[in-house]
Amino acid sequence: MNTSEIPAWESLAAQPMDAVDERVLSQVGRLYDLVDPVPDDLVDRLQFAITLDALQVEIATLQLSGAGELAMRGAEQVNAMKTLTFSSESVTTMVTINPDGPDRVRIDGWAAPGANASVELHQGSTIREVVADADGRFVFSDVEHGLTRFVIRSAEAAAHPPVATPAVEI
Amino acid sequence: MINAEAEQSTLVSRAGEAFQRYRQGEQQAMAELVAMLTPILWHAVRAQRLDRESTEDVLQTTWLALVGHADRITDSRAVLQWLLVAARREAWRVVRGHSRQSPYEIEDDAITSSEEELPENMVLRDVDDKILWSHIAQLPDRCRELLRVIAFADRPDYAELARALRMPIGSIGPTRGRCLAKLRSCLASDARWELR
Repeated sequence: MNTSEIPAWESLAAQPMDAVDERVLSQVGRLYDLVDPVPDDLVDRLQFAITLDALQVEIATLQLSGAGELAMRGAEQVNAMKTLTFSSESVTTMVTINPDGPDRVRIDGWAAPGANASVELHQGSTIREVVADADGRFVFSDVEHGLTRFVIRSAEAAAHPPVATPAVEI
Repeated sequence: MINAEAEQSTLVSRAGEAFQRYRQGEQQAMAELVAMLTPILWHAVRAQRLDRESTEDVLQTTWLALVGHADRITDSRAVLQWLLVAARREAWRVVRGHSRQSPYEIEDDAITSSEEELPENMVLRDVDDKILWSHIAQLPDRCRELLRVIAFADRPDYAELARALRMPIGSIGPTRGRCLAKLRSCLASDARWELR
């Protein structure tokens, strides 16, 4: 064994990085993405956790009535009309999902109590907001398929905290 | 040498810029930041031998801490470094909690790359991928962690991020550093390896 021999890597270490290093590193990143991928909806869930934290919201639950599978990750998209009901201590929200053109949906909703409530539709970092009518009815048209949540804020801020639904695949 | 174009194009500078906008009141910028930095933070925490579920919890705690401390971070340009430090600290806290309950965690640590050796045969079908992975798996833990994290960043940021990972100065960038050099020399002496 030749102890005076400098391992090849030690001289390599002192050299500036080159294009091959860059490519090796990009392969390293690609392999880690393959072997240990970031969960598909993690970004969405983290963004929503931050939103909830800021709002100090009440969390609604999805009422299971044949619609439970919608809340599951990777659920098939809904093509036909579906109605979902979310309930929380202060508000019950129903949404009906209908096709709206080839790859969009229209969402007709009703929040009770929800007169003039502000309703937000969250998809990833995209947020759309509408105001419900005096009966608590609201509409979102031209909505993309995807993991979707709703946040309902009462018109009278003191009435109850904002209510957030879990994410459902629509 | 600083040039404006390079500064704009790195992960660290993009993150700093988004965080700056968030602190100026643009709520949407936080969502951008989460989307931008979750991959690198995921790999930084997973490198601490945390399971996937605990990693999700660590990341959530870390982001909520950022939101809670947003006004106390002195340099918004260093937001990624802040998040890396916070996420690793939270990961250790969780690992220590686990270890107290299960001594297997500690024994597990003595076995090199026990976790990394498991999934690759299922996912990596390409021969070159398997060769590269086998060399990655043989690196010392700290080197593997460093390369895993900086692989998700841009070259001008390497030295800065290595510092946030508490690696010795000169670990990587502007020179190749010990870890990358080891990987390169392993690959160079592997006749099967060919870079595409």
